[in-house]
Amino acid sequence: MTIEEIFARRRFVFLDGGLGTQLQKRGLQPGQKPELAAFLMPDTLEAIHREYAAAGADILYANTFGANEQKLAGTGYTAADTIAASIACARRAAQPYGALVALDIGPLGELLAPTGTLSFEEAYARFAAIVQAGVQAGADLVVIETMTDLYELKAAVLAAKENSTLPVLASMSFESRGRTFTGCTVESFGVTAAGLGVDAVGINCSLGPDEILPFAKRLCRVVPAGMPVFVKPNAGLPNPDGSYDLTADGFVEQMLPYAASGISMVGGCCGTTPEYIRKLRAAFAELTPAQKVPLRRSRLCTPVRCVEVEGITVVGERINPTGKKRLQQALREGDSGYACAQAVAQAEAGAQVLDVNAGLPGIDEAATLEMLVRELQAVTDLPLQLDSNDPAALERALRIYNGKPIVNSVNGEEKSLKAILPLCKKYGAAVVGLCLDENGIPKTAEGRFGVAKKIVAATDAAGIPREDVYIDCLTLTVSAEQASAAETLKAMELCKRELGVRTVLGVSNISFGLPCRGYMNTTFLTLAMQAGLDLAIMNPNTPEMMAAVRAFRVLTCQDAQCADYVRAYAGQQTQTVQTVKAAPAAATPAASEPSGNEDPLADAVRRGLKKEARAAAEQALLSREPLDVVNLSLIPALDTVGDGFEKGTLFLPQLLQAATAAQAAFDVIKTAIANSGQQSVSKGKIVLATVKGDIHDIGKNIVRVVLENYGYEVTDLGRDVDPMRVVQAVQETGAPLVGLSALMTTTVPSMQATIEELHKAKLPCKVMVGGAVLTPSFAQQIGADFYARDAKASADYAKQLFETR
Amino acid sequence: MELAYHAADRRTVLRYLGAAGWTPDEATTSLLDEAETLLRRAATPRGVWRALPPQALDLREAGTDLARHLQGCDGLVLMAVTMGSGADALIRRLELSDIALGAAVDATASAAMEGLCDDVEAEARRWAQSQGLWLTGRYSPGYGDCPLTLQHDLCLALDTVRGLGLAVTPQHLLTPRKSVTAILGTADHPVTGARAGCNHCLLRETCAYRKRGMTCDD
Repeated sequence: MTIEEIFARRRFVFLDGGLGTQLQKRGLQPGQKPELAAFLMPDTLEAIHREYAAAGADILYANTFGANEQKLAGTGYTAADTIAASIACARRAAQPYGALVALDIGPLGELLAPTGTLSFEEAYARFAAIVQAGVQAGADLVVIETMTDLYELKAAVLAAKENSTLPVLASMSFESRGRTFTGCTVESFGVTAAGLGVDAVGINCSLGPDEILPFAKRLCRVVPAGMPVFVKPNAGLPNPDGSYDLTADGFVEQMLPYAASGISMVGGCCGTTPEYIRKLRAAFAELTPAQKVPLRRSRLCTPVRCVEVEGITVVGERINPTGKKRLQQALREGDSGYACAQAVAQAEAGAQVLDVNAGLPGIDEAATLEMLVRELQAVTDLPLQLDSNDPAALERALRIYNGKPIVNSVNGEEKSLKAILPLCKKYGAAVVGLCLDENGIPKTAEGRFGVAKKIVAATDAAGIPREDVYIDCLTLTVSAEQASAAETLKAMELCKRELGVRTVLGVSNISFGLPCRGYMNTTFLTLAMQAGLDLAIMNPNTPEMMAAVRAFRVLTCQDAQCADYVRAYAGQQTQTVQTVKAAPAAATPAASEPSGNEDPLADAVRRGLKKEARAAAEQALLSREPLDVVNLSLIPALDTVGDGFEKGTLFLPQLLQAATAAQAAFDVIKTAIANSGQQSVSKGKIVLATVKGDIHDIGKNIVRVVLENYGYEVTDLGRDVDPMRVVQAVQETGAPLVGLSALMTTTVPSMQATIEELHKAKLPCKVMVGGAVLTPSFAQQIGADFYARDAKASADYAKQLFETR
Repeated sequence: MELAYHAADRRTVLRYLGAAGWTPDEATTSLLDEAETLLRRAATPRGVWRALPPQALDLREAGTDLARHLQGCDGLVLMAVTMGSGADALIRRLELSDIALGAAVDATASAAMEGLCDDVEAEARRWAQSQGLWLTGRYSPGYGDCPLTLQHDLCLALDTVRGLGLAVTPQHLLTPRKSVTAILGTADHPVTGARAGCNHCLLRETCAYRKRGMTCDD
């Protein structure tokens, strides 16, 4: 029997029960690897499988859960041999009963970046090797189970689907709060796995049937009607010694409510035995699984946040280099930090999705978009809108995206639809369709609706559900085409009503060329919301536009009891609608005492007041040159704080607060410089990295902020950085100074290796090193030029180095 | 198992921030308050401990300091505790927007780990007492001459990937970053164990605490 036949039977499908716990019970010793049971205790392993088949399991999970090269290193067995032997063993047991044998894939045992150091690509490669071995060994299907990281799950699913034609079942393990260890929600799992095209989704391990039931119901609501959902709970919650108390009868009793829940496949995990499966089968054999009732909603997600696009949803537009000189400069320098800071700021301002665009002449869009997605998803939990019309760039970004994104965009041209829709389908993304085609933008609402119909026909054909299609009826500049605004709104209404799709608009386009753009944007946004706009691509940092969104939510009963509105505005004395650009905030908040100082910026920095420093910088720039502000206000203030720190009159927390305040001021100054087209304030280039293998980078990050505050242009390579990557960065930037950090004794050799590579490449740069385990003599020993005991010392060394050059 | 968040000891936080013994000013106090609030929201503390026979962990390559610590013991208690990946994510985010707050959360998380470890150890101690056993103090890989490589087997014995979402990197570091493992010995007679102490510490030549006549344990 094939899996399709099993699924088609309209009765419950039975999975097997616990394997690891059975092996332990039947003689596996502590310290022995359960993955090797096919070699260590083949008869026992086969007997367990056979008992499950005899008990009525339709699908047996082979003993391949941890069979990967890393876990088997040093055992004398390869993963491929172990997988072959394990599948053969399960096959011998399954054959007489007609049961299917699954290649069972568990977590790799290392955490993926950014929490761990394993890259997505490496995880994919490891899973691909396992899948290839499983196919070779004749598995009937692939089961990916006990996953707690959505990203790892995605790597495994892609590996299974790209390296086999076998059906793929995927299940994750949730804790009692309804999230995995990494914070992944049930909904994010269901939406992402279904989008990637798995054949069934489920929940296994960690909890008992009672605890999993509510999560299983939630899972049933977010996956398509035709997709089977399965559960494999533990025999209750484990005791501290790892044993389980729930009996087979108790287990079955707790399982009974699942019959009506929409679940169609059942089995057991840790602590369950063949007896549990036999009794489960007896209880469920005559039952017909209840029909699932999925809630068809438009969803976008990251692991920890599933956004339902119900009502107006704000897409932050700031990570788009068009017309933003500061971001252009950052992207040209390969610096993702500025974009990441923009992401955090937009999230704080109320954005629910972030648009990401890397289209800038002269840079590699595909590489940059991929880099931005990787870095952004490490610091924000908002879903991303991948903004490009280059299929190559989109594929790279879609592949490494963790969750379900939205692609912006396709248009009515055949070429665009053909190249991009298959990518959206493969990676399970939603998609924006622009109402334009080879003939340009139709003038009338009916014309745009016509293009929308063509796009929707194509998304239907590609298998993308209507709730994942967002039509952009296009905002034209009202100063140029005044009648067009009404057509846009009318087209939107038509699309929603006739096509059942979502709508999206880049709102701010409306006001190009006009003064006081905020007025125009806000009014158009309000009209569009009333016309049924779902996604507003806009600047969430514009107070009046966010106010319109929040007010609209109140007036349309989306914000119950005005809760969100009140939370956002309760503290505000007056609702001053500001125009064009937020005026500098007053630099005298109640908290700060008047100091009588002549220089409010220096004063704010010295006292570590972030908001005040930002405001003072804005004020200072009205009458002074940026460089002058840096050299005469910022740096002297930092020097004062640094001296105090050195003398021991000030402590690190105070130094850091001053650094944070200076950073806020510097941010204002850098934007002003970028906008004016002047040369940057760079006092010299420095490359920083936390060395290969080390993930403790707070020290390096403190050093970065301090160096940037002194006007140095820092290329921060992050943590766990390969030596050659440092060499490459120094070659590219020509930086005369490199700073390396390592916290652990075990990673100091990486530091030495990096210095050796720099020397080997004959680069004329100096190397300063720092980190808890380093000493001046140790630094000298590994070939470093300078030991920086703290951030202040690194700034002093940089100053000395660059001044003597 | 899920652990209740354990408020960090402020003196320890300040020590980790290089300000041992300092009475923080108002701004720093409110910085540390905010750090604690944010951390409490982001943290998902988890812990596990198991009493195991000595053969559950191969200690032949684990150095002489740990052997001394376990002298006279005939059983092991292994434990692992993590603050969860949410704390890492929070620190990553803050390092971009507010390095002072980021460093404060980092130090607060490290300090709070102490309390969480104490809570797990206390549970193991209650168990030991009920069994009429004595328990040494905690000893972690990386102390004295005990290599970090021991993390791999220790985490395997506790099945920390499945139980806590805690894994070891190829360079033997624990992830999520705010995680601790420890080894304790059990015996049927009173034992206390022997911490590595300064004489065996790799940092003894440069330690800032020793220069001030203190130890990092004070």
